[in-house]
Amino acid sequence: MATNEQTVDTALYEREKGTYHKILIGLLILTAITFVQPHLFLAHATFEAQLLIGFAKAWLIVAYYMHLKSEKPVIGIMVAFALMLVLFFFVTTIIDVHHFQFTDESYITNGTLK
Amino acid sequence: MAHEYVPEVAIDREGNEHLVQGWQDDYFGGKMGFWLFMFTEVMMFSAMFLTLSYYYTLHPQDYTEASAHLNRLLGGFNTVILLISAWTMGLGLLKMRSGDVSGAKKFILATMFIAALFLVVKGFEWHEEYEHGIFLGHGHLIEEGYPLGKKLFYGMYFTMTGLHGFHVLIGIGLMIWLLKRINAGKVTPEHHILHFNIALYWDLVHLIWVFVFPYFYMIGAAHGH
Amino acid sequence: MSAKSYLEETHTAFGHPKSKILQWLLTIDHKRIGIMYAVVMFFFFFVAVGIGMTMRAELWEPGKQLVDPHTFNQLFTLHGVIMIFIFIVPGIPAIFGNIIMPLMIGAKDVSFPRLNWANFWLYVIGCIVALFSLWGENGFADTGWTFYAPYSLTTSTNVIPVLVAAFLLGMSSILTGLNFLVTIHRLRAPGMDFFKMPLFVWGIYATGWIQLLATPVVGITLILAMLEKYFGIGIFDPAKGGDPVLFEHLFWIYSHPAVYLMILPAFGVMSEIIPTFSRKEIFGYRTVALSSAAIAGIGYLVWGHHLFTSGMSDLAKTIFSFLTFFVAVPTGIKFYDWVATMYKAKIVLRAPMVWALGTMITFVIGGLTGVTITMIGGDIHLQDTYYSVAHFHYAILGGVVFLMFAGMHYWFPIITGKMYNEKNAIRAFALIFVGFNLLWFPMFIAGYYGMPRRYFDYLPEFAIYHKIAFVGGVMLVIGLLWMFYNLIQGWRKGEPSGPNPWNATTLEWHLPMAPAPLDNHTKVPYVDFRPYEYKHGEPVVKFDYETMRRID
Ligand code: HEM
Repeated sequence: MATNEQTVDTALYEREKGTYHKILIGLLILTAITFVQPHLFLAHATFEAQLLIGFAKAWLIVAYYMHLKSEKPVIGIMVAFALMLVLFFFVTTIIDVHHFQFTDESYITNGTLK
Repeated sequence: MAHEYVPEVAIDREGNEHLVQGWQDDYFGGKMGFWLFMFTEVMMFSAMFLTLSYYYTLHPQDYTEASAHLNRLLGGFNTVILLISAWTMGLGLLKMRSGDVSGAKKFILATMFIAALFLVVKGFEWHEEYEHGIFLGHGHLIEEGYPLGKKLFYGMYFTMTGLHGFHVLIGIGLMIWLLKRINAGKVTPEHHILHFNIALYWDLVHLIWVFVFPYFYMIGAAHGH
Repeated sequence: MSAKSYLEETHTAFGHPKSKILQWLLTIDHKRIGIMYAVVMFFFFFVAVGIGMTMRAELWEPGKQLVDPHTFNQLFTLHGVIMIFIFIVPGIPAIFGNIIMPLMIGAKDVSFPRLNWANFWLYVIGCIVALFSLWGENGFADTGWTFYAPYSLTTSTNVIPVLVAAFLLGMSSILTGLNFLVTIHRLRAPGMDFFKMPLFVWGIYATGWIQLLATPVVGITLILAMLEKYFGIGIFDPAKGGDPVLFEHLFWIYSHPAVYLMILPAFGVMSEIIPTFSRKEIFGYRTVALSSAAIAGIGYLVWGHHLFTSGMSDLAKTIFSFLTFFVAVPTGIKFYDWVATMYKAKIVLRAPMVWALGTMITFVIGGLTGVTITMIGGDIHLQDTYYSVAHFHYAILGGVVFLMFAGMHYWFPIITGKMYNEKNAIRAFALIFVGFNLLWFPMFIAGYYGMPRRYFDYLPEFAIYHKIAFVGGVMLVIGLLWMFYNLIQGWRKGEPSGPNPWNATTLEWHLPMAPAPLDNHTKVPYVDFRPYEYKHGEPVVKFDYETMRRID
């Protein structure tokens, strides 16, 4: 079966090594941006900026280091499905707590450790 | 004993032959299984990030202040070395697939070394926090009048970095096992699914850190010292 | 070709043990593993039924009869934990998903047979840990099976071992689901695409996704609760700023999809039985298949309807109420398809079919009462009353467990090679059916009038309902014992059944012999037909069992 081939391919190393190096450099640059971002730009929206960089890094890792790009589409679809669910969990739950109705009287929003 | 795969064909009505996939030596099946397993890890950490975000929504100010106190130097150092270890692990897999077994072993050893270094640094970091009176069931975290948001932030900090560290530890264990299997000739360039999956696992461990790091260390960096 | 069945020889995880017992304990054969699951699960099932009846006896009259209030709390917790985590969550997938699903798709085993074996033992360890806490110093947990914070963090009973057990059982369930998903993706017989799979396989497939993606959430929640208890990290304890509502969110993000994890394979069993005994192709194959996927998908989005009275924001309540109504749509589609299949068919009323038809009645009651408590207004009144307890017993016992029994009668010949006594099977069904309705229907009324759940005592005006329920419970238990006795006698002394006694069409009925041989089909057939092709009440597809080529 085509998908079961595990043949030894000596040329492979040279070919894919280049990709690995490039991705490493990309990730290092993004990490550097992570470090300097709060002091350089978008300081009032650090959280959002950091999250954005995080997603960019994650995409590089998943697509290239984890070979998702060269994998059969079925795995990509599964990943997408799982991530959609996570997104739904986040959005709904955060909507709920964002509309917390007892902010003024609740201990968990006003109290301190006893 | 496990049954051996006997190649088999199914014959349709026109007499064409179709190869039957056995569960033995199913390379793609092995990969798919591991991807699915990684989903469960992703869901676990997502639930923790959800918890973290839940309280961030309630206490944004406390979170940024607490975050400012973490040690960005050690955390940043760990971020960079973990990134490099993902690279060495990937190169090791490439070596294996291209037939260079001893080269692959060297890269695995290098990855293990970095992973251990990561844990050591993490240990120093936790120690330092302990010294500053921030640790589970200790110091400020049980002090009367301490802000709840900070308490929750540090609670999640120790939980999540702890569980992440636990995954690093498991990763080291897996790599030791992998080396044994390579030495025993069970993992070879023609049969490297185990190596492939452990490399995937290591990328996942790295991936989780990619989000743990900014969420804990960086959100308060602008308020830092 | 060996003429030995899987009961006579086996493959083991390691070694070549001579002893029969070791051969069972170490087996990696999916059929034997399924049987071992069944044995453990039904053992615990009867324990929990005993506990349920103890509670019913306690509720015979107001005031104290048998047990004190604290023990009562522990009893319903133990009952719930066993029934949910040990019995019904592994449920149909662990038994029939293991035994039948690979046969249905023409595979030799599941994708990872050793993992399957390890999972079974992980499951057993989980059961042992759960029971372990019974003998601990402070007794079994008294929190209810939901472990709601903050009470579960402060009670002095042994909650932690139960949480650990639930975690282990969850792991086992996750990995089983994973195994089935890969099996269904990789090991289908050549030619069988997704829309040529039998509908039970669709049910298992949808279930696999729920096991895989939802269970980890509750797993980590339980771990967080343990960390909370030992290290006081604060996240669920209001005194430290934690929000118990978050615990409920995380708990139900798993536990609501979990109820679809129970019912989807049961619907799959129904979809096998109805066409077989109607001798007709199922009506709307694609809609039945896709509605399984739809239920699994929507099932993820509705957990919040368990939180209507717990302080969730009004906006979230509205969203969740709205979404919940949509679950009823694919479920309704399935029901119409089944009914349409039976329309103008020559129905053969054998035991499996009778069970399936009975379930249609009880599950509709369970399902429709569910819709009534989807509405926030209605739920405020009925939450935490016997109304909701009756609702989920109708849905789980009268839906899932009944269909599991239907499956036991249906696939009995493949597993044992024998046939049970048909008359006794029908009589046991009748007794169980009547007993079940007597047991739980009065509870809808009691709940509607305000009988709260999880109470050891009640006002005198509820006595009549509890008395009827107890009588129904006794009938139900006698019926259960009768049914199991009949099945066991069938296995020991029944007539040989032959490989296809029902004239069924799906692949598991095209084995060369019954009980199934160790390596399943002699040769894997090429599948270029739909799963339920009947013409004039006779199966269309016929095989030459030597070559497994079609000869029709
Ligand atoms: C066979 C006969 C059964 C009887 C006589 C029975 C009886 C009971 C009783 C008396 C309660 C306590 C209600 C209360 O006071 O709140 C209860 C609760 C419960 N039952 Fe059953 N039951 C049976 C079968 C089942 C089955 C098959 C399942 C699921 C697979 C199940 C799942 C539960 C659950 C989850 C609870 C709630 C426990 C809690 O409140 O934490 N039961 N049952």
